Amino acid sequence: MNTRQVAKGDRAFFAISTAAAIFTMFLVLAVLVFLSIKSWSTFSQQGISFVTGSTWDNTTEGGTFQIWPMLVGTVVVSILGLIIAVPASIAVAFFIEFVAPPKLARVATSIVDLLAALPSVVVGIWGIFVLSPVAATWSLSLSNTLSFIPIFRNEFSNAEGAPFIAAWTIAVMIIPIITSVSREVMGRVDKDLISAATALGSTSFSTMRRIIVPNAKSGILGGILLGLGRALGETVAIFFVLNLVFEVNLFQILEPKGGNVASLIIAKFGEATPEELNALMAAGVVLFILTLVVNMIATSIVQRAERRMAS
Amino acid sequence: MSESQLQFLDRPTDATPWSKRSSNFSLIIGLASIFPILLFLVVLNISELSGAGAVLTVFLPLQLLAAAIAAIVTRGRRGVADSQLSVFVYFAVFFVISMLGSILFSIVSWGLKAVSPHFIYQNNVYVTPTTSLDYGGAGHALVGSLLVVGLATLIAVPLGLAVAVYLTETRGRLKGPVRFLAQSMSGLPSIVAGLFVYALFIATGTANLSGWLGSFALALLMLPTVVRMSEEVLKLVPGDLRSAALALGAPQRRTFFQVIMPTAKAGLITAVLLGVARIVGETAPLILTTRLMSETSFNPFSGDLATLPTFIFANLTAGFDTGRSRAWGAAFLLLAVVGLIFGATRALTSKKVK
Repeated sequence: MNTRQVAKGDRAFFAISTAAAIFTMFLVLAVLVFLSIKSWSTFSQQGISFVTGSTWDNTTEGGTFQIWPMLVGTVVVSILGLIIAVPASIAVAFFIEFVAPPKLARVATSIVDLLAALPSVVVGIWGIFVLSPVAATWSLSLSNTLSFIPIFRNEFSNAEGAPFIAAWTIAVMIIPIITSVSREVMGRVDKDLISAATALGSTSFSTMRRIIVPNAKSGILGGILLGLGRALGETVAIFFVLNLVFEVNLFQILEPKGGNVASLIIAKFGEATPEELNALMAAGVVLFILTLVVNMIATSIVQRAERRMAS
Repeated sequence: MSESQLQFLDRPTDATPWSKRSSNFSLIIGLASIFPILLFLVVLNISELSGAGAVLTVFLPLQLLAAAIAAIVTRGRRGVADSQLSVFVYFAVFFVISMLGSILFSIVSWGLKAVSPHFIYQNNVYVTPTTSLDYGGAGHALVGSLLVVGLATLIAVPLGLAVAVYLTETRGRLKGPVRFLAQSMSGLPSIVAGLFVYALFIATGTANLSGWLGSFALALLMLPTVVRMSEEVLKLVPGDLRSAALALGAPQRRTFFQVIMPTAKAGLITAVLLGVARIVGETAPLILTTRLMSETSFNPFSGDLATLPTFIFANLTAGFDTGRSRAWGAAFLLLAVVGLIFGATRALTSKKVK
């Protein structure tokens, strides 16, 4: 094999990998472009009210398709899910990195990873048959005892299908994501700093507050945003446990009225009229842009934190 | 200076964590752990609070209080924050484990009621949602899932590996953006991947609903996982190996295929398996791109194809008790597949550590 053949083979090898890399970069763009082309008719017909209006009607000529309640619902459920998941995830990450003996830490890591690998349809079937009835009793006792606080008011007799219950389902799905990112950044906090603090008489709480949290802060924030990105796009599990209603429901988290863009697409897709199909594509575009922005912010935070800790 | 002028101070008791613990220490800690539980059980029996409500309103405050008192007695005021932190941490760990335990327990206990040998190999022809569980099964869906996921793996793994090669072996100028976009893509909602494939192929009339379209959508979701994991694994290969191979005159592609890849084999397989685990249960894209049927099909390139996730989805939405049982059974099969993959990755990574 002479030098020229070597160079030729290597050039092909690098050309293939470069092509693959560029292709991957363009995939994101392609998703956005193709969905936008398909949904253009909806955007031009409905205008800005596609996002800001609250009517979904496929019976009239041309139809009226507006997703504001679904967008609000998506954000409400995701934020509620974060409220449940973030403290739990950070505590579990702290436990794995600093409290548990190594063997137990390994087991706990496996458990978290297994939780991450659970398919969303499996979580969905658990959510509808096991979690919903139980969480409904929590919800009813909340609305019975704390109904003087507006967000805990429930004027319906049942509680299943409420954003409150969907939030628990979402929390189960994003806890592993936030935990694994937090664990990673907590593990990278300089061990010498921690030992120094302990030697100076720091208790484990003050080590946590003065050493671990300030150092791992940005990485944990990135993990939380990654979890948020996942929560915003979650489809099937939410579809089973949430009752979709075209009515803006921002605060009544215990009432069975919710909204979710991704679940709307699944719910309407089967029997959609052609115009409705385009509207669903448009909803997909909105969802994609929303999650892409959140994920890009998250990725840049996490990458910067990793680089800073590596150096 | 004479001895008598020196003032000896007593060492503060809470500043010597290494000193011998008092004999009461274990007794106090034991009491602080047992007392809240006992009181909680009593309250649970005499009041009408639900289990979770009682844990939150009775047990947790009691335990926090008990831990605080125990901390003051054993370590002084500085220990209080520590005790609250550890109660909270253990509570959170317990919460996460009980969630996972509940999921696993319900899938296994409900699933085993539906799963029988014929449930694994028979298909669903002549079976309606109300037919008894003595007939039919999810075999066709299992076959379909394997086909669709296998095809997706065939698409995503070479592509992902090539991208990882670009990120680790070359000096390309686009490394930063490629890594950034590949990572951002890992948050691509699965439904959007399905919509994209639908818009690209079905809405344009290029193809009908069929298995390979589902594979396309799944490959899109699998790609970021494969890229990230294999990049990490390839980075771990020592640079000396690379230099040694190159110094012996091996071309770069040979260095990669004959030195680097074998070294990173276990890690690369893990990357692929994690990618498969990520997509095997994806439902939304398959609902948009494939059509469920009750016969067994070995052809993912044309016609209808059943997969486990869509089988579960259809049986759940049909809303009959037997359909529900079938869904649990299929969820059990899905979980078994995920568990097998998971066990394989554990075995591989633990071997790597040794």
